[in-house]
Amino acid sequence: MTTVAETKDPSPRSIGHGLPLACFAAVAFATPFLLSGNRYLAFVAGVTMIHILWASGMNLLYGYTGLMPLMFAGLAGISAYMVVGLTAAGWSFWLALPVGALAASIAGTILGLPSLRLKGFYFTLCSLVIQTVVTLAFVYFSGLTNGDTGISQIPLPSFAGTPLSGLAYDLVLAASAVIGVVILMVIVQSTLGRRLIAIREDDELAGMLGINVTGYKMIAFFIGSLFAGIGGALYAPYIGFISPRSFDVLISMNIWLMVAFGGRGTIWGPVIGAVLLAPLSFLLQEYYTVKDVLYGLLIIVVIVAMPGGIAGGFKRKRREAAAPVDVAASRRSVK
Amino acid sequence: MKDILLDVKAVSKRFGGVAALKGIDLIQHRGETLGMIGPNGSGKTTFVNVISGHTKPNAGSVSFDGHSLSGSNPFQIAKSGLTRTYQAVRVFGELTVRENVATALVDARDAASPDAVAEIADWLRISHRFDARAGSLTLMEQRQVELLMRLVQKPKLMMLDEPVGGLSSAEVRIMIGVLSELKGRCTIFVIEHTMKVIRELADKVVVLMAGEKLAEGPPAQILSDQRVIDQYLGTADA
Repeated sequence: MTTVAETKDPSPRSIGHGLPLACFAAVAFATPFLLSGNRYLAFVAGVTMIHILWASGMNLLYGYTGLMPLMFAGLAGISAYMVVGLTAAGWSFWLALPVGALAASIAGTILGLPSLRLKGFYFTLCSLVIQTVVTLAFVYFSGLTNGDTGISQIPLPSFAGTPLSGLAYDLVLAASAVIGVVILMVIVQSTLGRRLIAIREDDELAGMLGINVTGYKMIAFFIGSLFAGIGGALYAPYIGFISPRSFDVLISMNIWLMVAFGGRGTIWGPVIGAVLLAPLSFLLQEYYTVKDVLYGLLIIVVIVAMPGGIAGGFKRKRREAAAPVDVAASRRSVK
Repeated sequence: MKDILLDVKAVSKRFGGVAALKGIDLIQHRGETLGMIGPNGSGKTTFVNVISGHTKPNAGSVSFDGHSLSGSNPFQIAKSGLTRTYQAVRVFGELTVRENVATALVDARDAASPDAVAEIADWLRISHRFDARAGSLTLMEQRQVELLMRLVQKPKLMMLDEPVGGLSSAEVRIMIGVLSELKGRCTIFVIEHTMKVIRELADKVVVLMAGEKLAEGPPAQILSDQRVIDQYLGTADA
């Protein structure tokens, strides 16, 4: 009965994450130095880091809580516009960043309220409408956002009075991606993660076991939107230009695709998804007409052929192999 | 006088034009096993849904262990010590049995210690399946996991919705043995179509018919009640 006594340990899987995390952190921090000779490639890597952060936040909501928020990019946009506005008004970027991210969190928690009533596909549809409205709001309130023209020449933030170099900001982005993954890992292995997974699997049963489904869904939205917001705040000065199209539904879909393609509900799947898909739009820049077609095809392939994504695919295969043994053993035990 | 655990007064529930429950009164004492029988569609599951907070009643009141449950959410009701199972077995199929149990412990009213969990799992003869994915278990094993997940929360009342549904006759015998021992661990409310279960377990039986309480009394009396025989059991079965 030693197996049963271990029940209290909530994270038998935690041991397996140390090495990949160390490798990921090493690669993330080494990349800006390795690519420092090629500003373009370093830039692609930096954008990928932001997408790793975003994908981790989307993973918390989609992979672990079972909610597919297609207004994710809109939340990033709320933070981005706010940070750009505040820094233009003289705020320090490092003060504007938490304020903007918090605004995105609060907006995300409020915009996530329909998820308390709508399940699965219906919430996704609702979030699509919310995303559309947010994009329209970015266009409409042109006094704050400069409308469709967008805001350009956003400077890189300074630190201690001197503007950050490209390399220094790349390291900031790497740090944010690593911290994002670490936070997700901590959440997943905590009792909060256990509650969110229970809500994903069967929210009615979760409630029956005493889990406050409404409260924890809102907590998930708050944290997931925080990831969106921090990513949005870091994105604006890095690209140097934001417009409503920077945070439209296609961006939400891309982030979702990174999670779904990589493997929702796994820590590393969405990281792999972001690493594979974020640079794609740069590589395909000259073929931008086929880019959206390619994304569309990839979405169909993921839904039809690999619902568990790359990481989930391996997991499923292992399970399928194990299943017949399980069933045979149980039949024996019943007799 | 015995201690009243569940006190239901004039509970009614309508779904559009259909009256699923019509002014049900019911009292269950602590330690008393209450059986509920009735034909399909008579409102048994709706009754449990109302008590567990999944469905809001249109009228009436429910009090549990001296506290009103009116307006409470299912999770609050669960935390007050009232738990239930579902007609179709319900476990977190993608998670292992161990993870299922750990999930049940997270927000339990009174979480069992690891030793107590081990003891309950041994008693339910499910310990050897702790690392299996719950969805890969047999129906009988999933029913055992359901009970385990409830018992580690140390509930005061467990409402079982057809606990032997879909089980083989050999498994039904085992489950009746389990349920009769379960009576020593918490108070039981059981919905069943299998009269054998009701006869062997229940101290008191309530018969529902088209949303109304047709009869109430000890099993021997209810199962020989002419109205119950005519309208539910039928002569061949009785």
